[in-house]
Formats: sequence, C-alpha cells, structure tokens
Amino acid sequence: MTEAEIIQKAADGDARAVRALYDRYAPRVYAVVRRIAGDDELAQDYAQEAWIRAIRALPSFRGDARFSTWLHRIAVNAALQALRKAETRRRREGPVPEQVPVAPASGDALLQRKLEGALDRLPEGMRRVLILHDVEGYTHDEIGDVLGVAPGTSKSQLFKARAKMREMLTPLGGTTKDEGVEVWGI
Amino acid sequence: MGHLNGEALARLVDEAPEPAERDHLASCDACAAELDALRAQTDNLGSLPELLPPQGDWQVLEARLRSEGLIKDPGLFARLGLAETPTWMRAAAAAVLFLGGAALGATVTSRGAQSRLAALEGDPIPEASVPSRARVQGPAKPASVDEAAATLHQAEQNYVNALARYRELVADRDQGRETDPRSRFAALEYLVAASQAAVRQAPTDPFLNGLLASTLAERQATLRRISTQQGNWF
Repeated sequence: MTEAEIIQKAADGDARAVRALYDRYAPRVYAVVRRIAGDDELAQDYAQEAWIRAIRALPSFRGDARFSTWLHRIAVNAALQALRKAETRRRREGPVPEQVPVAPASGDALLQRKLEGALDRLPEGMRRVLILHDVEGYTHDEIGDVLGVAPGTSKSQLFKARAKMREMLTPLGGTTKDEGVEVWGI
Repeated sequence: MGHLNGEALARLVDEAPEPAERDHLASCDACAAELDALRAQTDNLGSLPELLPPQGDWQVLEARLRSEGLIKDPGLFARLGLAETPTWMRAAAAAVLFLGGAALGATVTSRGAQSRLAALEGDPIPEASVPSRARVQGPAKPASVDEAAATLHQAEQNYVNALARYRELVADRDQGRETDPRSRFAALEYLVAASQAAVRQAPTDPFLNGLLASTLAERQATLRRISTQQGNWF
C-alpha cells in the first residue's frame, strides 16, 4: 500500500492506517516536540496533541507538500502553542548553568547527550529558534512565520543561542577538568 | 581589532565575514578555532537523531483518537470481508467474542438444533450448512492460561465461521438466489447457541440479552418460513 493510500484510509478513520502513520513518523514528531518542550512529560502531551490535530486535519491534506513536512509543521505549531499556554506555569525553568558536566562516555552517544542537555537549558526563546534552524532546518522566514517574529529577530536569537550553547559546552579557559568532573567541549 | 565575540562568530557559521573579520580570523588562531567549533556544533545539532516516544504512547493516543471519534477499527468482520453483515449481527458477534463466553463457560452444542429440525422435517441438516467444527462446545475448566486462550480462539473462530456462513446465505437471498431455509436455520441456530453462551457469562447484561432476543427472533422467523413452505418445498 502506498503512503497516499495509507493517508486516505487514515483520513477515513481507519485505525490501522493511522497506526501505520504513527509507526512511521512518531519518532520524528516526538523528537521535534521533545526538543521544543525541553521536558519529557510535556513532550508526550504535546506530541499527542500534535497527532490529534494532524489526524483531525487529515481530510484537508491535499498532498501539495510532502506528508512528513505537513505533519512536522503541525507538530511544531502544536508544541509552540502548548508551550505558550503553559508559559506562566512552567515548572522547568531554573538558572542556566555555566557548564554542562557530563560523565565520560564514548562516541556519538555522549555528544548527543551533551547537546540535548544543553538545548534543554537554553532560555526559551533561544531554544526555539536554535531547534527550528539548526536542528530542523527551517529558514529564518519560516521561523518568522511560525513564531510570529521578524526574520531579523530570528537571526539575532539564533546567534545568541549558538554562542550560549558554545559557552555551556565549553569550560572557561578551555580546561577539561573541573573539581573532578570532566567537562567536554566540542 | 580585538577578538570576535561569540555572537559574531555564530553569525559567521552562516554568513561571509566582513573584511575586517576575515583579516582577524586569518591572524587569530583562537578565533579561528572557536569558529570551527561553532561550525561543528551546528553540524552536530543538524545530525541529532529522532527520538522514540515513551512506551505506551500509542495506546494513550489511540484511546484519545477513539474518544474523539477520529478512528474506527475496521474490525474482524471487515478484515474477513464481512463488512456488509447486518449491524445487529456484527454487534452481537463482537460482544460474544469479547466475552468469550462460548469458550469458557458454556456447554452448548448445535446437536439440539439438528434434532429439532430433523423432527420437524424428518430430514437431517445438510453437512455443508454448518461450518466445519462449528460447534459451541464448552469444555471443562481449562488447565492453563494457554489452554484457555486456545479454547477461546477456537470458539471465536467457530463463531466467525458461523457468521460467515450466515452472511453467505443472506447474500444469496439479497442477490435473488434461492436460499435453503434449512441452511439458514442451521446457521442461525449456531449463532443462538453462541449468544446463549455469552448470556450465561453475563446473565444480567441487557445488551447481550437484546442481541440474543434478536437472534432468536430471526431464527423463529426462519423456522416459520420452513413450516409454511414444508408443503411445497420438495
């Protein structure tokens, strides 16, 4: 069965077709939502909301864009909207650490963990722009549309976010030891 | 020119440097190294993997989708090509299968139906009228979970077979082909037996009782048809 056929069946409410779409795209949806949310618990709620919206909107999907792109945009919007709503009662905010201490590990897993940890600790506005641009590949115009800001603002936030990430991931003075906890720069 | 600050270096990941910046980078190893590190950081962010949702995520989502009416299960009958089966029969079958009453509690056979009909007509039920192994037999208590599951599966299969057979007969009638009333009766009798088994499991369930009543009424109507046709049937 082609993806178009699966989508058509899912739009008609076929549970198996919806499950097939979920199996195919859930990791992608969850990844972007998780990074925007910066929190596992919120991420699951936001991802669910994204799927609900997507399945509800499926009958209006005409195939002008790739389904993955369409779904991704819904996920981003759902997460951003939910985040805005939750803004005032966020429980996750804390002081931004100067460094991210991590236990030694090896290879890509360590690098990914470091990056994910630093992303979670970025201030909200910076994190959204950095994720959308550097992780998800959005242009500044697209980010402007999604976030409702000018492309120039998006650029400015991006450069700040990159610099902040770099600060968090690199020990001051370039040392690699800090009171017995190894801190790994990129 | 002093060292480039972090934001300026971050900009240079995407954009070309101004002449002064270019000159500085050419002569300052620290800034050049920092720019390389920022480029690597950006590349690495772009290569972050997808993330698996937590376990049980689909089950939660599926429940929400169902509660909002956004999905409907095609169900066993659609998968078996029985989507056109009358609604009440599909509902009955679903309930019966769900309860698994036929497998776990009842001791019902279609033998009674055969003998009643044989007495009525003096003729045995044709072998083809009843699905193979289509007897709703209630075994003794299962010795293990596996045995119970196997028995339940068999009972479900029996019920589906009976329903499929009945559906064929209904389709024949709908398409103008003459249906052997005895075959219809036998198929209905089997459904009655399975429904009765389910009611035994939940005797006060009004839904199951309603379904049983519907099946009995259908069987009774078929029986009346057989009686009125008896004179000119053969």
